[in-house]
Amino acid sequence: MKYNENGVSIVPSEFKKEIFDEARKDFRYEEYVRGCLNCGVCTGGCPPHRFFDFSPRIVLQNMKSKDPELIWTMMDEYIWACFQCFTCAMICPFLNSPGGVIAILREIAVRRGFESAKKVLKPYSRVLLKLTAYGNQLSPDMIQPDFFPDWGPHIGYASTDLAVKRKAIPMPTLQVTNLAWDVAPETMKELYEIFDEAGVFKILEAVDPSLYEIVQDIVDDVRSS
Amino acid sequence: MAENILVIGGGPAGLNAATMLSELGVNVTLVERDSFLGGNPKKFKYKFLFPDMQPADNVIGELIKKAEAAGNIKVNYSSEVSDFKENGKKFDATIKSADKSEIKTFDSVIVATGFEHFDPARDAKYSYQLFDDVIDIKDLERMMGENNLLRPSNGKPPKKVAFILCVGSRDRHVGNQYCSRVCCTVSVKQAIELREHFPDCEAYIFYMDIRTYGFFEDLYWKSMEEYDVQIVKGRVAEITSGPDNTVVCKGEDTLLRGPFEIQFDMVVLASGMEGGPQSPEISKKLGIELDEHGFLKPENVTLSPFKSNKDGIFLAGACTGPKAISDSITEGAAAAMNAYTYAVKNR
Repeated sequence: MKYNENGVSIVPSEFKKEIFDEARKDFRYEEYVRGCLNCGVCTGGCPPHRFFDFSPRIVLQNMKSKDPELIWTMMDEYIWACFQCFTCAMICPFLNSPGGVIAILREIAVRRGFESAKKVLKPYSRVLLKLTAYGNQLSPDMIQPDFFPDWGPHIGYASTDLAVKRKAIPMPTLQVTNLAWDVAPETMKELYEIFDEAGVFKILEAVDPSLYEIVQDIVDDVRSS
Repeated sequence: MAENILVIGGGPAGLNAATMLSELGVNVTLVERDSFLGGNPKKFKYKFLFPDMQPADNVIGELIKKAEAAGNIKVNYSSEVSDFKENGKKFDATIKSADKSEIKTFDSVIVATGFEHFDPARDAKYSYQLFDDVIDIKDLERMMGENNLLRPSNGKPPKKVAFILCVGSRDRHVGNQYCSRVCCTVSVKQAIELREHFPDCEAYIFYMDIRTYGFFEDLYWKSMEEYDVQIVKGRVAEITSGPDNTVVCKGEDTLLRGPFEIQFDMVVLASGMEGGPQSPEISKKLGIELDEHGFLKPENVTLSPFKSNKDGIFLAGACTGPKAISDSITEGAAAAMNAYTYAVKNR
């Protein structure tokens, strides 16, 4: 892949148009993109805006511009800076959802196995493996700082005093430890059906072919058991 | 015999309608829910009016004086129309106050029930009522009316004040998609007044668009050229507390600074106008239409903005949508003319 001086990958303009059309045809597009007066309230309230060169207002303006070039400039890095917190959607006076636009664009990147998507998803291959192959989840009391260095420096704090912290959540939690790690084969088979139908395995094949092979081996084993 | 016409609401529109009708020799019954005349300008003690900064009393006071002096205007204070029926081409209305209730027949009716100021507490991002120094334009107008422009938190003169436009207007989240028309000009006017009062105090205006329509633009330019008011493009996303008893406005300056967090001593929210609870109430009671914005709906917005969809019932002032006091006064006169014509025709 070749990049220009702004770090944007060089692709034919027909391809940019194709990506642009794919985003515009998304069933959520009409709901997420409405009028915009550049008031900047979305960017003013955007948490990642404080850390990166990322602005939900620019995302929405680019999307409204009908210019495939502008959409493409966001596909490599820009769309991955969003936290998907949807603060923008919560405060936009027009009820636009720049975060939703990001979701549409990210899904295109993942579906099509773009380099950027592969790079971003690489650190999550363990999670992807456990989740797609075994249906495993993490329950809060499983998190041990030594085994989760990739979860950042605060993981030690996050895993202490859980009982007290969980009281802040108004619904019963901490009750899934056994179920989360010991998934019944019937449930796993059901999950595979869902992943098949929803195209999850296909996406996995696109972004991480070697991981896909490992997952498929396990899937075949479970299905034939 | 003289005509009998009912005017509901004693603000600028209702007062002017009543006064003009009385000059035509009509017997006017004025129903006012408050214990005083003058409507919102009086209730919130507006001090000076844009565009020429004349004292509000010269306008509102004058209207009240005329209405009170007229022998043929019967003012019912703290009262309401509790029951309303059509009676051929005329109308039977029950006027109810705390201690009495009477039924009268009227030849025509003018509805001038006005607006309510948007309550900024409904939009949580502005922290209104959370911080003492976050106020809105009606609060500031009242403070000016009471000759007290000091910070509510500590009684000291403010050194840096922000005005935030479009609070409760042009925002689908609060349910008001319309522009309230006057708040831009009111804010510019207040920024000028503040700078006049405290020359050391900086004034900022945060805007999405500045809509000082028509000649009000003069005031806007003046605020920049003569009063050095800072005009920043960007809607404020959040107001938080800052160090040294300040409030912090957080947002994006979409033209110049990019993201900003600026400390202020005081923030003034330009809260807009709403149809209030009285609009649906009167619409139901009188059987006239309400529009999708919560105001009363004119029969034809362009041809007959002062007519309701029901023959014999006329509309005046901010009950049909946000407008300036001068427009309300004009509509009061227009509705009076139409109500009079209707009454005479159906004598």
